[in-house]
Amino acid sequence: MTTAEAPATIRLPADVQAAAPRGWKRYRARTFYAFVSPWLAGFILLTLFPLGYALWLSFTNFDGMTGHYRYVGLDNYADIFRDPDALHSLGRTALYTVITVPAAIIIGTALAVLVNRPVRGRAAFRAIFYLPAVVPIVASALCFKMLFDSDFGLLNHIFNQLHLQTIQWLADPLVFWVMIAMTLWGVGGTMIISLAGLQGIPGELIEAAKVDGANAWRAFTRISLPLLSPIILFEVITGVIASIQAFIPALLLSIQSGTVAATSVPQSNYLFMIHAYAQYFDYGRFGYASALLWALFILILVLTAVIFKVSGRAVFYESGPDEAAQAAAGQAAGEQATGGKVER
Amino acid sequence: MSRAVEAPVAGGLNRRPARPRAVAGRTGLYVLLVIVALIFLVPLLWLLSLSLKSEGELSTPAWLPKTLQWSNFKDAVTLIPFGKYVTISVFLAIVQSGLATLSSALTGFGFARLRARGKRALFLVVVATLMLPQIVTVIPTYLIFARVHLVYTYWPWVLWGLAGSAFLIFLFRQTFASIPMDLEDAAIIDGCGYFRIFWRIFLPMAKAVLVAGFVLSFTAAWGDFITPSLFLDSDHTTLAVGLSGGYTTAAGTPIYTALAAGSVLYVLPVLILFIVAQRGFINGFVTSGLK
Repeated sequence: MTTAEAPATIRLPADVQAAAPRGWKRYRARTFYAFVSPWLAGFILLTLFPLGYALWLSFTNFDGMTGHYRYVGLDNYADIFRDPDALHSLGRTALYTVITVPAAIIIGTALAVLVNRPVRGRAAFRAIFYLPAVVPIVASALCFKMLFDSDFGLLNHIFNQLHLQTIQWLADPLVFWVMIAMTLWGVGGTMIISLAGLQGIPGELIEAAKVDGANAWRAFTRISLPLLSPIILFEVITGVIASIQAFIPALLLSIQSGTVAATSVPQSNYLFMIHAYAQYFDYGRFGYASALLWALFILILVLTAVIFKVSGRAVFYESGPDEAAQAAAGQAAGEQATGGKVER
Repeated sequence: MSRAVEAPVAGGLNRRPARPRAVAGRTGLYVLLVIVALIFLVPLLWLLSLSLKSEGELSTPAWLPKTLQWSNFKDAVTLIPFGKYVTISVFLAIVQSGLATLSSALTGFGFARLRARGKRALFLVVVATLMLPQIVTVIPTYLIFARVHLVYTYWPWVLWGLAGSAFLIFLFRQTFASIPMDLEDAAIIDGCGYFRIFWRIFLPMAKAVLVAGFVLSFTAAWGDFITPSLFLDSDHTTLAVGLSGGYTTAAGTPIYTALAAGSVLYVLPVLILFIVAQRGFINGFVTSGLK
């Protein structure tokens, strides 16, 4: 890759060369590296090194305390498949992902369509739908605990009024659905991304379809949706990455009398990362826990690659996959790339 | 004429008389929007309602308590070392987001305006870290920092700040890349070095993005739960952690009214920031950041 790079120096117009101080070269590699050095040092120290450290630990039986630990090869990885709790937690994470990712995209895009219409007060509606996405996770969890509390929660008050049996929402198995509701409450982030995508679609295209006799639904499914597909692909990938590593909602929903403990998380919310967290901080099995962490990392890499591969045909790129991928990356950075790059 | 109702209107609503069917459709749309908006607001409103109830009223379904129990808020700030937690939260959030914004601006400038062997590969690394699951690096970082005695100190936040954020680097790169070359050329002719060009010309031109970057990373740091709960001891921690572990009686039963009031106080700054900078959050920060 580096050979395709532009030459390190570039010839300046004669007058500029003359004006620049002696020995001054416009592009020096060291100028670039000086500018990016804080980030690069941070990346090596806080990302690469910890990842490598965890990889090394995953091949040992380190318990976090004793200095006596040894290389155990791939034993920790093999243990994952023999650990019923790990397999159970993987199943819960899979279920959580399979439910929340499509639900968030469908609800988020539907809301985006609603608030993209010329209705009075749509700025206020946009703000209200987006608001929960900026509420800190600790506060969201407290909100949902208080909404679903068995004694004073709003839901059980309503059930009481209707003379229905009150329900233990925050225990197995329903607490899983409380966690899903809490996750979907923050759907505003997805809505905003879909909205940016919708706003990038030229109005004339929809107009033309309407003139040709298409109704709103048909115009949406045949024009907006295909044009939105790179955005949806982006939402699928970031959504999958976020939900596979999710565990903080489960942890916070099960705080009891002020203590945070992975071991007090109910069975149905026992996500894969909760299991890894418990192995680290409750059982001190650092080697095995690191193997779980790396297994998660590999799983995410593989899933991302598979999603890219499978989506190849389903995603519509008007300007070629390369540019659209760039646009998706731009979207990742919050750039309004959707209008600029995908549609033109 | 029939498409007039559907057409997006630039400056407000269409004033032309609409047909009955369209009116019905529009009313339906409003009803739907209002219902969904209420669903989104209920969790926060219920929290607010609990924060103003008395202990005895908790088991009643009323939204509005008979008398507003403002004393809950007094409990909220006295039952736990609230002021200390707030100070630590604000301090860490300012340190981390200030450094992260500046460091990301530097890096973004490097990627946007400078050339060197390996730049393209490094930029791919930035994009890749956007997708990297955070927790995979946070726990091993904790183990390493524990060995070099950096846990229970505030240094990790300085380091995270200096390392910048992939998201902000991308944002700054896009911003700086869009600034015309002429400005840079002129400065070079005047004998400016690249650091001066960055500091005197590019940074002042990116004020909006600087503010956006700071606000976004400040809210992220304010809301962060997992790093303070791992890297700080429970006496010197942030409000996010102090809140979720506090407000219990000596016997360990939670005092829900104070907890609700404390949560309201904790969310309030974020909500105020959101309302003030709402347009920025929705139109600018999240979808473009480029103004």
